[in-house]
Amino acid sequence: MDPIIGVAKKDVKTFFRERGTVFWTIAFPVLMLLLFTAIFGREIPFTANIGIVNDDKTTPIPIAANIISGLNETKVFNVKIFENKTEALEALNATSIRAVITIPENFAFNLTTGMPASVSLVVDETNPDTARLVRDGIRTFFAEFYREFNKNYTEPISVIEESSITQQRIGYKEYIVPGVLCYPLLFSSMVASTGAIVYERERGTLKKIRASPIRPLNMLFGKTLAALFQTTISILIIAVLAVFLLGPKVNWNIPLLVPIVFLGSMNGIAIGLLISCIGRSPQEASGAATTIGIVLQFFIGMYFPLEYLPEYLQQVGRAIPMTYAAQAVRDIMIRNAMLSDILQPMVVLIISAIILYAVGVLLYKRWVEKE
Amino acid sequence: MGEKRIIEVEGLVKHYGEVTALDGVSFSVEEGEIFGLLGPNGAGKTTLMEILCGLRRFNEGKATILGFDLVKDSRKVRGMIGFCPQETLLYDLLSVLENLAFSASLYSLNRKKFKERVDFSSKVLGVGEFLNRKVQQLSGGMKRRANLAASIIHDPPIVILDEPTVGFDPNIKREFWELIKTLKNHGKTVLLSTHDMYEADELCNRVAIMDKGKIVALDKPHVLKKTIGGEASIHIKVKDTQTKKALKPLDKYSHILRDNEIQIFVTNPWEIMPEVSNKLISQGILTEKIEIVEPTLEDVFIKLTGRKLTEE
Ligand SMILES: Nc1ncnc2c1ncn2[C@@H]1O[C@H](COP(=O)(O)OP(=O)(O)O)[C@@H](O)[C@H]1O
Ligand SMILES: [Mg+2]
Repeated sequence: MDPIIGVAKKDVKTFFRERGTVFWTIAFPVLMLLLFTAIFGREIPFTANIGIVNDDKTTPIPIAANIISGLNETKVFNVKIFENKTEALEALNATSIRAVITIPENFAFNLTTGMPASVSLVVDETNPDTARLVRDGIRTFFAEFYREFNKNYTEPISVIEESSITQQRIGYKEYIVPGVLCYPLLFSSMVASTGAIVYERERGTLKKIRASPIRPLNMLFGKTLAALFQTTISILIIAVLAVFLLGPKVNWNIPLLVPIVFLGSMNGIAIGLLISCIGRSPQEASGAATTIGIVLQFFIGMYFPLEYLPEYLQQVGRAIPMTYAAQAVRDIMIRNAMLSDILQPMVVLIISAIILYAVGVLLYKRWVEKE
Repeated sequence: MGEKRIIEVEGLVKHYGEVTALDGVSFSVEEGEIFGLLGPNGAGKTTLMEILCGLRRFNEGKATILGFDLVKDSRKVRGMIGFCPQETLLYDLLSVLENLAFSASLYSLNRKKFKERVDFSSKVLGVGEFLNRKVQQLSGGMKRRANLAASIIHDPPIVILDEPTVGFDPNIKREFWELIKTLKNHGKTVLLSTHDMYEADELCNRVAIMDKGKIVALDKPHVLKKTIGGEASIHIKVKDTQTKKALKPLDKYSHILRDNEIQIFVTNPWEIMPEVSNKLISQGILTEKIEIVEPTLEDVFIKLTGRKLTEE
């Protein structure tokens, strides 16, 4: 038998015989997902008042009326109609509305004759989060509206079916699911691999392994394979539960997600192995891994974008390989990224994995002898 | 026994910080022999063995295994040695067979060879009856057998055993000695360490006596006993209250009193013994014990170092 497979098989068998370990490996992602479902799974009760000023009085078809009823149908916006822009902007300043949309003269004419048609938008910036949601919502609405209009411009236009999409687009759930999916890259992978070497050393079984001709890199790969197995269990549980419990409107591009998640896991596992080589006892190593995991979760953009962090902390985030994996996963799932978009993070992940394993071999050879 | 040198060690020095664990150790082990390292705790036996198994680096010296350099050909050398350390290195949650399979995988054994070796382990090492039991359910003796089976699963020409019977009760110890002899009969060269003089005497073709990182004597056990341990002596034990009285008639022999035993050193103890016995009887002294004691390797060690092998 190949030594890599031998090491992995032994670890996986041991894993299955430690009932507690199996239990927590499953319980962790389940609990995470239940918690996230409880927090983000409900309909987000975000609504905003917005104002509309209709300057296009020559409309042959009821476009303005369609826009207004369409916006109302989203249930995100309550539309108030204003006679002129000045009145509307006053209301905006008084924060009784969050945005003002102005439909200019000849809007319907331009639209129906294929000329550039635009509406103007003013957003209340006093609360950046609300502003972002409102802006995104309105943009998305018009994009959908226009697409619908172009397809079928002789009929009265309706956006009723599209309203739910508009509403979902601004949900936090779609942001959080890729983040939760990346949770195992930090926790499961590191937890699974942190014990790998330090435990064998404490039990003394590392002597048996080191006295054999197995190459250090193969030993690390065997350990990696077993940890990868555990990480995969966590990720699959999260993915399946996410689909059933949260049902986010995201792009499950499996052929792109698998290699990215795989590379991300390899990096997490490699970091765990480094800790495992240095740690003097399993307790010390798992303490280190837990601390690092908890700290890193803020850097890898799991709950909120990296850009929210102060600049110097963003730099720290960019130095962590898993950040690239989490970002790429999010890009694939909510921005429909293609292979060409994620090539760069892939290269970063491959290079960092190579470096981490090289350091791992060095530590394994040099450090482990000191007992 | 062949004349081929299987293990050759020259001037090995190993420091752990301030401590010098090995202080210029040289010896060689010949093909097919059982070679013993006898010495008290801290003598450097484990350090020496772990160096030979590639587990530790060393500061000075040179060692070759079957002609291969320990450092340069370390991977090759590892494949030729089966190392059985002091502790039991098995995975408690796995069965014996699974443990053997894991060990075999470390040496890239193929399926056929593995099957052969499991057969050998079952028949010769006696792990057959508990092959499918989890290690955590095994008795101490079973664990040690399984441990030995796992360390030599790859059929290495050299077997290194670090204190193989320490902590065993006498019956299991005997069983294990038989096992080690069986290995020798299967053509293995065995290097073992012990601080049990009987074990060294019983098992080893040659013994190196180690103390404080040095080999202080090296030869066949009977030669060591004869040349260093000295002649046999007469040991007499009488009732405690009569010890003083008993010493009087024995004055003419060179003797000492140790542990309430009178020990008489003469060149021809077998001839002198009846005479001594009669003398004591004529004085009305009851002897509880009178016997001729051959020197042991312990005596050799005491002669060489002035200390006992095991501190009581
Ligand atoms: N890892 C270590 N670090 C520091 N000193 C050690 C270490 N291992 C052994 N020693 C010291 O080296 C000496 C030889 O120890 P060891 O080889 O275990 O002897 P033995 O096996 O004959 O009992 C002892 O003084 C011991 O304290
Ligand atoms: Mg020892």
